[in-house]
Amino acid sequence: MAEKVYGMTTGRRVGNGVLTVVMNTIMIIFSLSCIFPLVWMFYSSLKVKREFNADIIGLPPNPTFENYAKILTNKDYHIADSLINSVRTTALSVALILLFGFVVGYILARVKFRGNRVIWIMLLMGMLIPVHSLLVPIYIVFNRTGMNNQWYTLLFPYIAFGMPIAVFLIHGYLKAVPVALEEAASIDGSSFSGTLFKIIMPICKPVMVTIAIIQTFACWNEFSFALVLLRDVGLHTVPLAMTQFTGQFSSDYPKIMSAMLITMAPIVVLYFGFSKNIIKGMVAGVVKG
Amino acid sequence: MKRSKIILSLILSIVMAISLLAGCGGNETTTTTAAPADTTTTTAAPDDTDETTTGDEGGDGYAGDLTLMHFSTSEESEGNGGSDGFRTVIAQWEEANPDITLKQTVLANDEYKTQVATLASAGDLPDVFLLQGMNTKSWAEQGLIMDMTDVIKDSPHYADYNQAYFTPFTDGDKLYGLPVLTGGTCTVIVYDKAAWAEAGFEEFPKTWDEVKEANEYFTANGYKESIAFGNSGKWQMNSCFLSTLGDRFTGPEWFQSIIDKGGAAFTDEPFVEALDYTGMLFQSGVFNDDFNAINNEDAREYYISGETPAFIGGNWDVSYIGATLLETDPELYENTGFAVLPQPEGATGSENSQNIGLGYAVAINSKLAEDEAKLAAAIDLAYYVTGPEFASYVAENYALGGLTQVSNVDLSAFDQFTQDFYNYSYVDTNACEIYDSYVSPAVWDVLNTELQNLTNGDTDGATVAQLTQEAYEANY
Amino acid sequence: MLTRRPPLRILIGYLLIPLALYVFAVFIPLITAAFYSMFEWKGGPNKTFTGIANYIALIQDKIFWLSFSHNLYLILLCVIGQVGVAFVFVMMINTRFVKLKSIHRTFGFFPSTIAAVYVGFIWLMIYDSRRGILNWFLELIGREDLTQVWLNNTDLVMTLVSIPLIWQYIGYYMLILLSATSSIDKEIFESAELDGANAFQRSIHIVLPMIKNTVIVCLVLCVSGNMKAFDNIYVMTAGGPGNNSMVLAMYGYKVSFAQQNMGYGSAISVGIFVLGLLVIGGMQLVSNKLSKD
Repeated sequence: MAEKVYGMTTGRRVGNGVLTVVMNTIMIIFSLSCIFPLVWMFYSSLKVKREFNADIIGLPPNPTFENYAKILTNKDYHIADSLINSVRTTALSVALILLFGFVVGYILARVKFRGNRVIWIMLLMGMLIPVHSLLVPIYIVFNRTGMNNQWYTLLFPYIAFGMPIAVFLIHGYLKAVPVALEEAASIDGSSFSGTLFKIIMPICKPVMVTIAIIQTFACWNEFSFALVLLRDVGLHTVPLAMTQFTGQFSSDYPKIMSAMLITMAPIVVLYFGFSKNIIKGMVAGVVKG
Repeated sequence: MKRSKIILSLILSIVMAISLLAGCGGNETTTTTAAPADTTTTTAAPDDTDETTTGDEGGDGYAGDLTLMHFSTSEESEGNGGSDGFRTVIAQWEEANPDITLKQTVLANDEYKTQVATLASAGDLPDVFLLQGMNTKSWAEQGLIMDMTDVIKDSPHYADYNQAYFTPFTDGDKLYGLPVLTGGTCTVIVYDKAAWAEAGFEEFPKTWDEVKEANEYFTANGYKESIAFGNSGKWQMNSCFLSTLGDRFTGPEWFQSIIDKGGAAFTDEPFVEALDYTGMLFQSGVFNDDFNAINNEDAREYYISGETPAFIGGNWDVSYIGATLLETDPELYENTGFAVLPQPEGATGSENSQNIGLGYAVAINSKLAEDEAKLAAAIDLAYYVTGPEFASYVAENYALGGLTQVSNVDLSAFDQFTQDFYNYSYVDTNACEIYDSYVSPAVWDVLNTELQNLTNGDTDGATVAQLTQEAYEANY
Repeated sequence: MLTRRPPLRILIGYLLIPLALYVFAVFIPLITAAFYSMFEWKGGPNKTFTGIANYIALIQDKIFWLSFSHNLYLILLCVIGQVGVAFVFVMMINTRFVKLKSIHRTFGFFPSTIAAVYVGFIWLMIYDSRRGILNWFLELIGREDLTQVWLNNTDLVMTLVSIPLIWQYIGYYMLILLSATSSIDKEIFESAELDGANAFQRSIHIVLPMIKNTVIVCLVLCVSGNMKAFDNIYVMTAGGPGNNSMVLAMYGYKVSFAQQNMGYGSAISVGIFVLGLLVIGGMQLVSNKLSKD
């Protein structure tokens, strides 16, 4: 890597100070705006429907945990079942997206073979598929093969639609990693698979963490596939269960938000709690080229 | 640690591959291991100690699953009498038929429509479901839904049925469903009697000119406008305004001819006049300026908060307004009145019309014809949920009516607000049709989109009529 | 690329399951849709073969092309607003002048995890003409003349519905770009002798080439994502007023479901797919040209 040498500039203390203030202000405003929805959802969940409809953004005049109590006691809402379904679907999908994305991404980045480009373009095409208008063909394909309405049904679309992003990110990341590492391992007698999992996988940790975060939330929140491919209430995932709070002409948003917060709590806590470790993990993965 | 993770992942991928292969080999009828949490999974044990007390037309000859899809979520049933009644009678029927496992899929209305459309496309509808009026003809032609003409004639409650409610579910002389839930108006003016009295109107004006006159008073006295309306969802202008206003210009024969493809066209002069009149009204300042940017739920808050002295919406808005005002503003609750749309100048139709009906009917999958016992159970369910048990429940608890008429509804137990609305809906006014219970969804989607342009002043009635007519010719 | 290729059976072994699954869940439905697009199909068992009639209608469909132009506009705004801003933010976070780095890293991603309904709600309350924050602010600074019913403004509505989308996904691209920069030596960003402006310039000159591949991935994600944009706009305006904020995916959904025209809806999906390929292909041509120059 070519290192350009920049001359020291002096007498810019004032400019420096202004720039620091500006940069920090921008970032703080941005971060605050990003966390606002969570804050808003929390205090809105302490309102009753009437109060929310009358004033969507205001603070609750009479904060109450009534919504939480209702959700946790009403069996019709099947929150617990849907949580289990969502956890299972998300965990399996993300694990397999990571595994498949890593393997395919690595092969596409490092192995020259006929079909490399074809697979690349095929994966790219997958990212251009407008899911919302393809729901009927998707349903028909799954129905004909008897794979709709099963506990594993959603794994197929989630993995398939999550894979291209994972492949591309791994591919892009590996392009910046020198190939010498693997060549050396190969000379030392390490097999292809050995190199793949023992040497490359640890290097890819930062980008794998990123993929895991992105896909966890994507699978957790996915709605359209779940809607058309599942029929049994017992198989519903969290976003489908949330529709129980919506009526034809009115929706109880504070209640939905309470339910969302309850159901999102595990992953949000996980995300915030581990974000420090995650970032440490990212830094630990540094390879110096 | 890491290796075990990898091994786990590999095992999973093998499991996946196997399940993929197994899935390909399987046939279409698949059973799930997970028990639905929402449905009562009554064991189909052969004990007939508990003889059915209701609807024993044949429902007890069948043991097994019956699938039912509807959109009466538990949220919907809170405050919506029809949904509450529907859920109640379903539960009663389940209890009376312990041999039948009723597998219900309950989704919110929007999601319900998407899923039912998907299932219809794949020819994979549930045994019993709720059919929307505007799909009747197309689905009947495709053979998706069972011809229920004789079923309805043979119903034990046939004599009590309100025949008018069947029209959206009719194709030629055949009937395809038993109208379900409660009949409610889609267009009602909810107004603050005290405020309008101050403006010089003891009751709501009978002409739009008088409304404009009142509007001058209101805008000069702290109100921003006279009537609140919300149309950001696009369907509101059609269902809760044009459907009734159009009737005033065209009369019912024109729309019947549109339904029957009897020669009437959307480009006919009276309908174009109705469109232009609608455009003019929404440009006149009588309504809130953000009517195309907010929905009906926001607009009714303008009325509830006292910002606007009137609101136009449907029965669902009235029940929300009533329940809210009762708690927050009893005085406005007392003063709230109901009125039909004022008569436009030049309109020759009924002055007292409002559109009312039942938008959905219980329909039965045509595939059930192959299984007589199951069909008998489905028919029994359909009779029961639209029959007298349902009707009395909603009449006694909510002062609402359904398909089956109940004689001697005692209104005296209800307060003035509820009585007034009952009389508005069922007694004092003439019923006209709800446009989007008929014809084809493709036509209404085009019209609804163009209505936003029209009421924004970006197009004219003739153009809107032309585009709607094109969609009508192409899709119906 | 590796100089020594692994044996073919190992390659096939690794690629078979992921690709089989991918083809099953992604390509077979697409091919099915292409097949159905040749039919007049109102949703039900009956279909009438009409050949390319749906595609002829598609080429003449003004709403389809209007929606496409909206998508292009959206892509333009989002490439600048999402990827561009995310890149700048990442560069800023990486300099030693910005404090609270871990907070910015963690919080930024959060909006992209929230369902579009709620993001839509918050922004509806910003744009709302009576209770909204934007009009309140304009009144506060004495510019009442500028207040209006924002989402009913046919000229502005596309821009207004893009802003929430941009804001929501900045953090998403930040996360990706941060992971890419994590493989870069920290000293490049933090050389103590540099002042802010130079440190910033320097990171762009040195860092950008190093993470070029990831930036391209971000651009592809951004373009393909915005070709399919749906939820946020659906929640805020449902494509209105009229069709002034209609986008391709929403139009396809509307035709398939609200109008129950499954055949034509399938043709629209195929059209979106083909246009997407063209846009991405065009983008790659441009970027190849640029990187050669």
